[in-house]
Amino acid sequence: MIALIESLFLIPITVSALLLILPKTAARFLTILATLVLSAIAVYLFTQATSRPIQFAVSPIVNQIVMIADFLLLLFVIGAGVKQKNILVWVLAIVQLVVLGYLTTKKTETQSTQFYVDKLSIFMFILVNVISGVIAVYSLQYIDEEKCSVFRKKYFLNTIFWFIAAMNLLAAADNMEYFYLFFELTTLASYLFIRFRKDDESKKNALTALWMNQIGGLAILGAIAYTIFTAQYGNPSFSDLIAKGNTVAIILPFAFLCIAGLVKGAQYPFNKWLIGAMVAPTPVSALLHSSTMVKIAPYIILRISPVIKGTPVATVVICLTAFVFVAAAIGALAQDTFKKILAHSTIALLALMILMAAVGTPVAVTAALILILFHGLSKCLLFLNAGVLEHVFHMKETSDMSKMGEVGPYTVLVVAIGFMSLLLPPFGAFVGKWFSIETIGSVASGFKIVGALVLVCIATGGAVLSLLYFKVLGAMISRTGESDKVKFEHVHPIYGSTLNFLLFALLICTIALPWLLPYYFTQVAADATGLTLIPVVMEGTNICIGSIHLPLIPLLIALLLLPLGIIVGMFVRFKNVDRVKEYMCGEKIEYNFSSFYFSTDKASAYFVAIGILFFVSILLVAFFM
Amino acid sequence: MNNSIIQILLIVLAPVLGGLIYGIERKVKARMQRRIGPPVLQPFYDFLKLMDKRKMMVHSTHAFLGILHFVSLWFALAVLIMGGDFILIIFLHLLATALLILAGFSTRSIFSHLGANRSAISVLAYEPVLVIIAVSAYMLTGSFNVSEIYASTTPVILKMPLAFVALLAILPIKLKKSPFDISEAHQEVVGGVELEYSGIFYEAVYTSKWLDYMFCYLLVFMFAGNNWLLGLGLVALTFIYINALDNSTARVNYKQMLRFSFWVALPMAFLNLLMTMFHLL
Repeated sequence: MIALIESLFLIPITVSALLLILPKTAARFLTILATLVLSAIAVYLFTQATSRPIQFAVSPIVNQIVMIADFLLLLFVIGAGVKQKNILVWVLAIVQLVVLGYLTTKKTETQSTQFYVDKLSIFMFILVNVISGVIAVYSLQYIDEEKCSVFRKKYFLNTIFWFIAAMNLLAAADNMEYFYLFFELTTLASYLFIRFRKDDESKKNALTALWMNQIGGLAILGAIAYTIFTAQYGNPSFSDLIAKGNTVAIILPFAFLCIAGLVKGAQYPFNKWLIGAMVAPTPVSALLHSSTMVKIAPYIILRISPVIKGTPVATVVICLTAFVFVAAAIGALAQDTFKKILAHSTIALLALMILMAAVGTPVAVTAALILILFHGLSKCLLFLNAGVLEHVFHMKETSDMSKMGEVGPYTVLVVAIGFMSLLLPPFGAFVGKWFSIETIGSVASGFKIVGALVLVCIATGGAVLSLLYFKVLGAMISRTGESDKVKFEHVHPIYGSTLNFLLFALLICTIALPWLLPYYFTQVAADATGLTLIPVVMEGTNICIGSIHLPLIPLLIALLLLPLGIIVGMFVRFKNVDRVKEYMCGEKIEYNFSSFYFSTDKASAYFVAIGILFFVSILLVAFFM
Repeated sequence: MNNSIIQILLIVLAPVLGGLIYGIERKVKARMQRRIGPPVLQPFYDFLKLMDKRKMMVHSTHAFLGILHFVSLWFALAVLIMGGDFILIIFLHLLATALLILAGFSTRSIFSHLGANRSAISVLAYEPVLVIIAVSAYMLTGSFNVSEIYASTTPVILKMPLAFVALLAILPIKLKKSPFDISEAHQEVVGGVELEYSGIFYEAVYTSKWLDYMFCYLLVFMFAGNNWLLGLGLVALTFIYINALDNSTARVNYKQMLRFSFWVALPMAFLNLLMTMFHLL
């Protein structure tokens, strides 16, 4: 087992090194092989996982390596900040350097194990390795079409794989110094990715991402410091903190960890870095949004949810995320660029995941996990499609896409299913949202007026998101009667196979939901919350999980109506019916109507201010509790 | 046993009942304007006439989505009648609306696009309120199943009157009645999404409006609990209210509608949620 887990760390690193030197064909072969192997290992680990987490130590020399790597990394960041004259970057990095240096002198070597792998970690392994693997395969073709030198193409693939390794390590790390290093490594990877195109905008946005995520790093250092200096904790490791957290009742380290997570999750006011990340090649956006980077946020909150559950810190986090859910959804309505729309909706849905994780009851955690998985699949699908739109059809703005229904019916179909899968029954993301509403409904009375406000936020945000998806989809699906016979456009086999795989995975996971619930999601939730497994039982045709009843027959019929109905709708041909031109009430002049836009320029300053208020109050609440 | 027969009958006859409601509505509306109005069965005569028309369509996907809209709406209504999960019902209704919106966008017709866009905005106006009402009902009955609301011995309207007011506020949006009939506004967007349908394919969109009547009035009926006489009374009053409103008001624009929904209907639903949460009634 331990060897397998270690192989999840070592294989991607080896592959990433090899990709730098191998020729193109061999690199392609290696990437596909590595993806298959890593996914297989992750899934196999889950089948072998028991309720007892696996803890293991690595040789002491690794401690030295980690420490040196920490310092080197910070020096690199300082270098980047000074060279590009961004004061925030280097000041934050120097502060971290000082704090880290001070902490290394203070800490006592009592820790025996550095890694801790439970089902939540393995859940992350599956998410990271399968979806990022698909993206790696996709980017083989994408980066090939990019205008840059051969070395930079290799370097791009190389970065993807060590990023995967960093994510795997992060999900397994127990020692918080290790965690800090991997956290910073993902920051570094995103920095390198965002500035990949090396134009002015890329460089600027990369620096924004860098300094914002530095705050996350600083917050982790704060958590470590508080752990070391609080006599009852002593040992800066997650397992220790969580075991002692409820009895010691000093919540500040957890508040710091929350902040680190929320920064990574691009919650207001730190939303800018994720929106700015759009300048990078599209596989990067797919990687950041679906399986890696931002998913660290719900992961951290899930990790610490047994302790923060029910505390004022959790309440503030819930309020913040409920607010972000609405604010980001409204922000998305003002956008026209396809990728920016997706980015805003990612922030909104991430807020919902973090909210559910902070609520922390077993059913809420199950909802968060369902959302994480299905959001990963859907967003990956949509972003890879955005890449196709950009590279094959040369379209970025949704208002330019009015001819897509005729030139790219396959792409449009995939986008349609992607959007629908985030919103409507019977898809998994819908089930997650449904769980969220019902769970919040059942715990709301404990939160009094806050619970009611959160409910209003979720209801409104959900409706705004549905308006958003229709708006975007509507801009691209129209076609005239002349092209009644739909012929799918030809896409490159690598694009086609990755998109089809994701579509297929989405449908299969949706159909398999009745089995995934008892054998996957609730198992992970039981491990993550440290509570007993919530039973999933069949009652007639209902699946009952906790107090929620999931009626199968309506969902089954919805499955026939929605994904299948839309697919059939593409191909169905009515015979013996006359085709006519649009009537348009006899209008002869051609009008062009794109969509409604909602300007949020005035509001966004307030959104940021409210976000800052919430972040400050997380710390204040934890401090004065 | 008796109950389930009624339920199945209701589901099967839903389009017919909805058509009757529509027929009565035209009559009542005409009488309010001192006209005689068409016969009550006029919608069905129209239905038969439409069957007979020459078959025309813009393209097959457009026509098929219209039919799919009808089927999914009927299905959402069936789940409501059988007393399923409230949240699920709201989203199944959204699914049906989604299909119609997609149909509207799938042609190259300006009015169809405008109508679809306005339908999407209408969803934004009424959906949050419905979700809040559903959660309030949960706080009251302890279950998200509508069957619990049907079965409650004290009429729900006494326990959550504000929710009923909020529902009355959004019903004109859902039923596309003045002052909130922006999504089909004949004088502006010529019927919106319906415009490009004709003949037998229009039939699906036309009858799904009848289903929508059933859906909305069932939501009203629900507020009477197990007292079906009170339920019918509520439905009758709501019916008159909707038609009087439709006759006496002018259309607002979509911004005013959204503002009304967010500053009047939603706070009302929210207040109701607080009241049920703290058991004030």
